[in-house]
Amino acid sequence: MAGSTIDHLVSVTVFLAAILLFIGLFNQTIQTAVLYQRHRYLATKASDMLDNILLTPGNPIEWGKSNSTPTGFGLQDPEFTQYRLSPFSLMRLQSAIGDPLYYGPTGLYYSNITVGFGNFLLVPYSLAINYSTATKLLGINNSYGFQLTIAPIVTVSIEETRSENPLRLEVRVTGAGFPLSNATVSYCFLKVVEKGGQSNPSYTSSFGTIYADGQGSAVLNITGVTSQDSYAFIVYAHISGLTGIGYHERITESERYVIPLIDSFSDRRVLLAHSYDVHNFGPPESAVFYNATFVLLTEDFTLREMPMENSTGKLGKIVYGHGTEKTYQNITIPTFNPGILVITYQSNNGYGVVMMPWGISSMAFSITFGETPVDKEWVATDIRQVLVNGIAYQTKLALWSLEGYPVVG
Amino acid sequence: MRTVEIFLVIVIITGAFLVASFFAVLPSPRQVSPINLRRLALTTLQTLDVNYDLSATMFKTSDDPMWSNLQIALSASLPPNIVYNLTVYEVMSSQDQLYVPTVSISNAESLGIESDAASYLVASSNVTFNVTPEKIGEHGGGGTLYILNCSDANGWWITGYTSQKLADDLYNLLSPYFQSTIMVQNTTQLGKILNGTSLQGETLQNAVVINTFGEAVPIPAGYYSSAGIGYDTARSSYALYCYTLGQRVRQYNWTWASIVGYPLYYVGNTGLFPSDQNGWGIYGMRNVGAAGLNSFLEGLDNQAYVYNGNGITGDSDSDARLASVHLSSDALYYCNYYGVYPSPYQTATRALPTSITSTYHLNVTTYIFDPVGNWLAGAVYRNRASGALLALGVTRTPDIRLTALGLLCDYKPRLYRSEYTVTGTSKLVILQLGQVGGV
Repeated sequence: MAGSTIDHLVSVTVFLAAILLFIGLFNQTIQTAVLYQRHRYLATKASDMLDNILLTPGNPIEWGKSNSTPTGFGLQDPEFTQYRLSPFSLMRLQSAIGDPLYYGPTGLYYSNITVGFGNFLLVPYSLAINYSTATKLLGINNSYGFQLTIAPIVTVSIEETRSENPLRLEVRVTGAGFPLSNATVSYCFLKVVEKGGQSNPSYTSSFGTIYADGQGSAVLNITGVTSQDSYAFIVYAHISGLTGIGYHERITESERYVIPLIDSFSDRRVLLAHSYDVHNFGPPESAVFYNATFVLLTEDFTLREMPMENSTGKLGKIVYGHGTEKTYQNITIPTFNPGILVITYQSNNGYGVVMMPWGISSMAFSITFGETPVDKEWVATDIRQVLVNGIAYQTKLALWSLEGYPVVG
Repeated sequence: MRTVEIFLVIVIITGAFLVASFFAVLPSPRQVSPINLRRLALTTLQTLDVNYDLSATMFKTSDDPMWSNLQIALSASLPPNIVYNLTVYEVMSSQDQLYVPTVSISNAESLGIESDAASYLVASSNVTFNVTPEKIGEHGGGGTLYILNCSDANGWWITGYTSQKLADDLYNLLSPYFQSTIMVQNTTQLGKILNGTSLQGETLQNAVVINTFGEAVPIPAGYYSSAGIGYDTARSSYALYCYTLGQRVRQYNWTWASIVGYPLYYVGNTGLFPSDQNGWGIYGMRNVGAAGLNSFLEGLDNQAYVYNGNGITGDSDSDARLASVHLSSDALYYCNYYGVYPSPYQTATRALPTSITSTYHLNVTTYIFDPVGNWLAGAVYRNRASGALLALGVTRTPDIRLTALGLLCDYKPRLYRSEYTVTGTSKLVILQLGQVGGV
C-alpha cells in the first residue's frame, strides 16, 4: 500500500514537472512564431505605408505650395500618377538630421537641409511638417515609429582640378556604386562680375553640354576665369532615364554673405539675411550687396535662366544689426516651376555665390524625416524608386512598432 | 507502475514536441521582413521610362548603344545587393504564342534563392491612338452647340482675349463632341435662334449656347430690345431682355453657359448703343447690373417678371475660402478622361448662393468646383421643368477650358479608344530582381 502511494506521488510529481516543462517549451515555440508573425505584419505594414505616402498627394492636394498644414499626409505630385513626388511637399518636411537654425529678426527656428557652404535650404518650423503631425495624419500615432529617407540615386561630384585660367572642372557621375558611363552632362556656369564696393555684383552666364567617358567622368575647361574669380557651376547629368544634379561654387568672401530663408511657400517669398545676423557673430559688419537670378531645368535637360523683375527684389543690400535700414530683404521667386535661386554677393570687395533649391529636386537635396531607427528592437524597411520633377530618387522607409510587446524572441 | 506510465507519457510528449519543432520551421529574417522586390522592379522600370527612354530602347536593335546605356542605368539605379534580369517579349497576335522573348540582359548568373518580378508594357512611338468621341445628342434630341461670336458686340471681363478668339478656341475644343457646332456671327443671327429659326438646319431644341462675351451678353436690335420685350421702360433697364432670354432657354431646353464673372451684367450691341458705355469705357454696351441674372432666372423658372437689382453673388469677403476654390472630384476625374487640364484651383469673386436652387427650382447637375459653405463657384443648374444655366463665378481672365470641362462633365460623352496591343508596336518588359548576400 505504501509502495503504491509512493509510486503515485512520484508519478504525479514527475508528471506535473514534465507538463510544466513542456508548456514552457511549447510556449516558447509559439511565442517565437507569434513574434515572426508580428515581424511579417510589420514588413507588410511598412510596404503599405510607403505606398500610402508615395501614392497620395495629401489633402489639400497642393499643400506643398501653400503655408497651410495638411489634413492628409502624402507626397505624390498631384499633377502626376504613379511614383512621382512633389518637390514642394518634400521641402516642407522637417529635417531630422540638420541642426535647426534660429534667426532673431523673425524670431523663428528653421529646419536646416543645408548641404555644405553656400547651398542652403532653410524652412521655418511654422511651415515645416513635423514628425508628430505626420504620424497623426498617417494614423500611426503611438503605435508605430518611422523614418523616411529620400535620397538621389545619381551622385554628381565636381572637383576643381585647375584654378588658373583656363579653369578646369572635373565632373564625376555615379549611381549606386556604379559610374554612369557616357552620361550626357548639361551645365550652367555663372561667373560673378566684380563691380567695386557699394554696388551690386553682376554676373555672366554660359550654358553647354559635354559627355562623360567610360568611367563616368567629364572634364570641362572654361576660359576667362582666374583664380580670383567667384563662380557657381551647376550640372545636370542624365542617361537612359536617370538624371542627377551636381553643383560647385568658388567664393572669395566667406564671412559676410547672404543666407536665403524661406518665408512663404504660397507667396514664393524668400528672406535674404546677413550671415552675421544669423550666426550672431561679433560687432556690426559691412553690408552685403546681392544680385539674384533663377535657373530652371527645361524638358530637354538644358538649364535656362529665368529673368526676374527688379520689383521681385532681384537687386538689393542687406545689413547686420537693427539700424534704420532693414536687416533682411525679400525676394519673390517668379514661378512654381522648380529651379535654383542663385544669389551673387559682394561685401568689402569680396565676392561669392550662394544657392537655394526651389523644389527639393532642383539641387538633388536629400531629406531624412522622422525618428532615428537606431536602438529600436526590430525595424522593417522597404524601398522604392521615385521621381521628383524628373530627378531619380530612392525612397527608404524604416518602420518599427511602439506597442510595447517584445520583438526579439 | 504509474511512474513507468508517466515516463511513457513524457516520451510521447517529447516526441510530439520534436515532431512539432521539426515541422514548425521558422523562416529566415529575410523572408520574414523582405524588401518588396516586385514594387522595386516596377518603380525602377517607371523611373527609367520617365522620358520614354526605356520604351525607345525596347524597339532598338540589340547592338544599339541604347542597350548598353540601359544596362548602365539599371546597374546604377539598383542597390548594390540587388541583381537583375531584364527580358523583353514581343507581343504577337498569333494563336500559338502570345509573347516571344527577344532580348535578355542580366548582371548575374543566377538571381539567388528568392526573386520577384514586375512587368511593364511599352509602346512604340510609331503607335497612334485614335479616339472617337460620342456625339452629344447622338442617342436623343439636341446635339447643337451655339457659340456666340457676334462681330457687333463687345465683351467685358475677358481681359486679354476677344470674344472671337475665345469662340475659336471653344470651337476647337468642343465641336468634336457635338452633332453640329454653329458660330453665331452677329446679333441678327442670335435674334433668329431666339425666334426658333435654325441657322443651318440644325436642331434648335436641347442645344447648348455659350456666351463668350464674359459678363456682357449680345442683344439683337429690334424686337428683343424693344419696350416690353427687352427694355423695361419703368426701370430704364434691359433686364427685361435677360428675362426673355431666360424664357427662351426654358422654351428650347437650352443650356446657357456663362464663361466668367457675373452672368448677364451688361448687354452689348455696337450698333444699338454706339454712344453708351458700360461705366468702364467700353462702348456699345449698357449696364444692367445684378438685375440681369435675377431676371434671367425668373424667366428660366417661368416666374412673372419682377425687376430685382439686388446683387446675389459672393466673393472672399463673403467667405474667405472663395479666394481659392478647388475643382470637384468629378471634375478632376473628367479632366483626365477628356484631357482638359485647367488649373485645379481658382479664385471665385462671383460665386452664386445655393439659395437660388430653391428660389428658382433648380437642380445642380454638375459641381465644377466643390461647394464652399453656401456658395457655388461653378456649377450647372438645371431647372426642374426645362432649361439650364452653367455659371462660372470665377475672376477674370477666363479659362474656357473650365467651360468645356463643365459641359463635358454634365453631358459625359463617351470616348471610344482604338486597340492598344497592335502587333509589332507593343513589347512586354519583365524585370526580375534577386537579393544577394545576408540572410
